[in-house]
Amino acid sequence: MKQGLKNTSLIVAAAVAAMGMVSTSALAQDGKSITTVVKISGIPWFDRMETGVKKFAEANPNMDITQVGPSTADSAQQLQIINDLVAKGTDALAVVPMDPAIIEGILKRAMDRGTIVVTHEADNQKNTMVDVEAFDNAFYGASMNERLAECMGGEGKWTTFVGSLGSRTHMQWVGAGEENAAKYPGMELVDPNNESFDDANLTYDKAKELLRKHPDLKGFQSSAGNDVLGIGRAIEEAGLAGKVCLVGTGLPNPSAAYLDSGAITAIGFWDPQKAGMAMNSVAKTLLAGGEIVDGMDLGVEGYEKVSVKPGPGDGLLVFGNGMVLADKDTYKDYLF
Amino acid sequence: MTMVQDMPDTSIPTPHESPRPTIGALFRRRPELVSLAILIAICVIVASINPAFLQPSSLIDMGRASVVTGLFALGVFAILAAGGIDVSFPAIAALTMYSATLFVINVWPTAPMALVVVSTVVGGAALGALNGWMVHTLKVPSLIVTVGTQYLFRGILLAFIGTVWLMELPPQMIAFGKAPLLEFQSGNGVTVTLPMYFLVFPAAALLTWFMFNKTLMGRAIFATGGNADVAERLGYNQRIVHIFVFAFTGALAGMAGIIHVCANRMANPFDLMGIEIEVIAAVVLGGARITGGTGTVFGTITGVLLITVVNNSLVLVGIPSTWQRVVVGAFILLAAAFFVKRSHKS
Repeated sequence: MKQGLKNTSLIVAAAVAAMGMVSTSALAQDGKSITTVVKISGIPWFDRMETGVKKFAEANPNMDITQVGPSTADSAQQLQIINDLVAKGTDALAVVPMDPAIIEGILKRAMDRGTIVVTHEADNQKNTMVDVEAFDNAFYGASMNERLAECMGGEGKWTTFVGSLGSRTHMQWVGAGEENAAKYPGMELVDPNNESFDDANLTYDKAKELLRKHPDLKGFQSSAGNDVLGIGRAIEEAGLAGKVCLVGTGLPNPSAAYLDSGAITAIGFWDPQKAGMAMNSVAKTLLAGGEIVDGMDLGVEGYEKVSVKPGPGDGLLVFGNGMVLADKDTYKDYLF
Repeated sequence: MTMVQDMPDTSIPTPHESPRPTIGALFRRRPELVSLAILIAICVIVASINPAFLQPSSLIDMGRASVVTGLFALGVFAILAAGGIDVSFPAIAALTMYSATLFVINVWPTAPMALVVVSTVVGGAALGALNGWMVHTLKVPSLIVTVGTQYLFRGILLAFIGTVWLMELPPQMIAFGKAPLLEFQSGNGVTVTLPMYFLVFPAAALLTWFMFNKTLMGRAIFATGGNADVAERLGYNQRIVHIFVFAFTGALAGMAGIIHVCANRMANPFDLMGIEIEVIAAVVLGGARITGGTGTVFGTITGVLLITVVNNSLVLVGIPSTWQRVVVGAFILLAAAFFVKRSHKS
């Protein structure tokens, strides 16, 4: 059924693209155009990214820089938008793919036509020139754990949550966390890798159970975006805010109440504003015929000294140092 | 034991019951007692492995965790009794709870909580009635109808109402989710709270029991589930029975949805997906037959508690998360096999 839907939208997309080619052949500006295509428009994460794209546009007034995205989390709609943009002849695409596999074909066609293609959050995308990642996963996991260890005073029982055991990045994060914790002989990992399925309610129940099983549990390291909300609520309701440490991936706005109450020690994330600017910066360099090399400065905070590795296809993987760990005192700088 | 339903079920022949019933015969007549025995056995095993299970806090946590599943299960029980099945109730709950929350936030931030609850219950009943009307009018199996409406309701929610998580609930909703019925400090300084909304589950169970045992509608539903043609000839209006029973389930789903939001302190339109399998499993474990016409409220509650205890004690027992799903699945299969065997015997 879903496949059928996708096919239909493919046909629609092709029709729209064809019409686009016939009617508006020129999107000719003085400068070149860079279009950022996000997963969903209108949600806080990508609204925040748009502020970065706008900043970049202000800094480069001679270029035509915009952000677009589908209104729902639907990879077929995103494909349609990219199709349309390629047909209209945008000079560079900066894509945050909903599903990398779905758009491989259109990205290849875009590159064949001479369009610059940059991606983000898609280190398995084959048809891209440069995929920009905010950070190295191992470094991120280790940093969160270091913050947790600091809060726990380097000793006590701690446990970990992942979205699911099949989630590659989450397993990398907690794996790196475990390695980091090995530095502290006093830290004892108990019942690790609990699955949260990114469901705050389920996470809440599991966190309560863990706290009951280990009354002396001192720390949680969590991975999926909703985990801190479920664990935070369990800690807060148990009156343990400030006594049990919780460091995990989360967004500042939803977590604000729990950060203020002390139920969440710190949240880790990357700032989509900076990621959007970094993607556009890479696209601009490539449009000017430049090269992306190891150690270069993208001119964006957190991406001053990027490391470059070969990607899964012909393109490059670029890692920044764009991780942010925000606590009670600092989260207000990143309200999104 | 007053909750046990006298089954007006014609499909289980009773003549060869001995004057002094054996335990086996008792279990055959009262399948929910099997679930109760399993439930007690599991509790004993878990408690002997980890005595922390017997802390009041753990019982309270389980009571709290059973509310949403329990409300859904009572609705599914009613529909199974009428010989149908419903998989659209999570979508009904999601649609009503999200729309109501969005409305309160954007249009009427000071709306009284009672009105919010009533509106979700009425909204749920209306969507349920639509299910019942279609089942009756189209003469299509209710599974097909509700699989369809499940997509329809969820689709309407995501396409027209919203996909964004609502994190900042209005204060009256947060207060509703937090209001304590019982609160105390456990040994290690941990605050344990049984929220007020817990009462909704026993209240709904009592209401369901009353409906099935003391009203004509209850008889009509069981009669329809036993044999629809006979029920119709007996003069039970099938149209009213169908619309009523699906509306009843919808209303319970609406109630469950708003409780889920308030307890969780956020409204996520993608929530509750897939919970239908667990709920149907709970009802079937409680002794209701998937083919309809049987079951008791007491059995349904037992089934819900079984699922809740299994879901909330695996960490306590020390089963690693890789194995938790295996255990839950094996457990459901085992109990189901037992029930199938029982129905063959009788």
